[in-house]
Amino acid sequence: MSELQLNDVRKSYGNFEVIKGVDLDIKTGEFVVFVGPSGCGKSTLLRMIAGLEEITSGDLTIDGERMNDVDPSKRGIAMVFQSYALYPHMTVRENMGFALRFAGVAKAEIENRVGEAANILELGPLLDRKPKQLSGGQRQRVAIGRAIVRHPKIFLFDEPLSNLDAELRVHMRIEIARLHKKLATTIVYVTHDQVEAMTLADKIVVMRGGVVEQVGSPLDLYDDPANLFVAGFIGSPKMNFLKGIVEAGADGTSHVRLPDFGNATLPIAAAGATPGSTVTIGIRPEHFGESGSASLDLTIDMLEHLGGETFAYARHGDGELIIIETKNGRDLKSGDGIAARFDPAEALVFDADGRRLR
Amino acid sequence: MNNGTTRIAGTIVTYGFVGLMAFLSIFPFLWMLLGATNSSIDIIKGRMMPGSALATNIATFFTQVNAPLVFWNSAKIAILATVLTLAVSSLAGYGFEVFRSRHRDRIYSALLLTMMIPFAALMIPLFIMMGKAGLINTHFAVVLPTIGSAFVVFYFRQTTKAFPSELRDAAKVDGLKEWQIFLYIYVPVMRSTYAAAFIIVFMTAWNNYLWPLIVLQSNETKTITLVISSLASAYYPDYGVVMVGTILATLPTLAVFFFMQRQFVQGMLGSVK
Repeated sequence: MSELQLNDVRKSYGNFEVIKGVDLDIKTGEFVVFVGPSGCGKSTLLRMIAGLEEITSGDLTIDGERMNDVDPSKRGIAMVFQSYALYPHMTVRENMGFALRFAGVAKAEIENRVGEAANILELGPLLDRKPKQLSGGQRQRVAIGRAIVRHPKIFLFDEPLSNLDAELRVHMRIEIARLHKKLATTIVYVTHDQVEAMTLADKIVVMRGGVVEQVGSPLDLYDDPANLFVAGFIGSPKMNFLKGIVEAGADGTSHVRLPDFGNATLPIAAAGATPGSTVTIGIRPEHFGESGSASLDLTIDMLEHLGGETFAYARHGDGELIIIETKNGRDLKSGDGIAARFDPAEALVFDADGRRLR
Repeated sequence: MNNGTTRIAGTIVTYGFVGLMAFLSIFPFLWMLLGATNSSIDIIKGRMMPGSALATNIATFFTQVNAPLVFWNSAKIAILATVLTLAVSSLAGYGFEVFRSRHRDRIYSALLLTMMIPFAALMIPLFIMMGKAGLINTHFAVVLPTIGSAFVVFYFRQTTKAFPSELRDAAKVDGLKEWQIFLYIYVPVMRSTYAAAFIIVFMTAWNNYLWPLIVLQSNETKTITLVISSLASAYYPDYGVVMVGTILATLPTLAVFFFMQRQFVQGMLGSVK
């Protein structure tokens, strides 16, 4: 049974529509991540699910029950905020038990649940401390603990790791993944960090301008993006985009000519594109190599040696930078000319409107 | 002039100015302390040394003034005014900051404009209102006009800007109604702001002179400031006794400031860190 459903959900502030009709189906136990650039509406959508923002139109159902006008505390959700939102005047124990106390849960039961959550998150020694006596990571664990004690049907996370330093972020990311495995509860998670999205999600929802661009598993989105935006947003370093023109071959096949790359022609079939039309070719940095029937003549502009791999930033003449990921780049130098080869089958083709041509 | 000389001259001017300001602030206080130990004649002569009349002055003060009553009157008015002002103005400041409405800023601007009206212009209409309400010569008449303080509302609204909206959201998810968020989250989190406002409002209410002078007409209702003033304006004022009264009147505000000064400073810097 589907646990959380959004049917044509919209949100407007006056005449300004920020969520423009979202349909989504989230199943029990799924880890769903909303990603998108700043201002795309991902946090607003999460707040609408939480009941912190009114839904202008459409339906939000949890377990089949319409929740549009139900109080946040009665939706069966718990939320973890970006700034943790711990009550500064309460101890960790009081923070974690506060919602239960208000819901009239017996004292012994509150103690049990707080103890249980503290065990899961290793918060036992911190229970009598105030939030200001905790580190960022500990505060985040308390915020998660506060959500766990409520035994919610759905956890909502609003950019929970963005206030942490890089090392702690990786650590907490693993903790959250482990927690999801342990609790097997539905999680809806908002982030602008696509690495977080890729590593945590069962399902990613990519948003832009209040619209869902694509929904799918992380690798589906990576391998098979529906449009130019998703292709560019998912993956780090991001996909290379080359402007090309579709040309008909003598034998009835088509190929793509790249005017910015010395009119190199790539044996790429742009299905559905008429000869003469402009397309964008997308190639992931790791798809460049020393073999493949397609080739670009480039000059290396800059190199980033990361030890295991090297990112070469190269261009043709004064054209746009192309990022190439290679395992054998230790001997490369800036100014070197290289033939960046790739298999045309790895290239994705997008039409002038950014839609994927398959 | 080289750099070193300019710096020394600058330091001298700065210290001189600060010293002068410190002297101007401390002098009345010092004069009050010394005056309490001297006879009225010595004070008029300008004697600025400790005298031997302290015991006489204290005895005279307690003979002439029903001290427990006037202090009780002052305390009652100051505490009532402070508690009510903080309750009403903090609710208003919180409301102005947190709730959005089309007319919010217009109403707020109108409220702030009331700070520009001098109290003298309001005295007569207020007196007529209190008269019609039958409150003349009651402490309630002193307290009522001070409760809706535009300045304190302004102060609370400004400090509420630092109150994280995510705390409100978290409380809503935890099941709290708006009034519960105010009571259980906002008030404790903003306690330094309340402490700072408490000191300001309490001192203003304790030292209030003009309005109580107008509405409090019987000796049973008068406050310490009115009584000290009447001592000073007697046909043969005994300034030593007036100074004793002034010291005693200063003690409660000093005590409030002393006990709450740490939170006062914190409140001035902002409650939320």
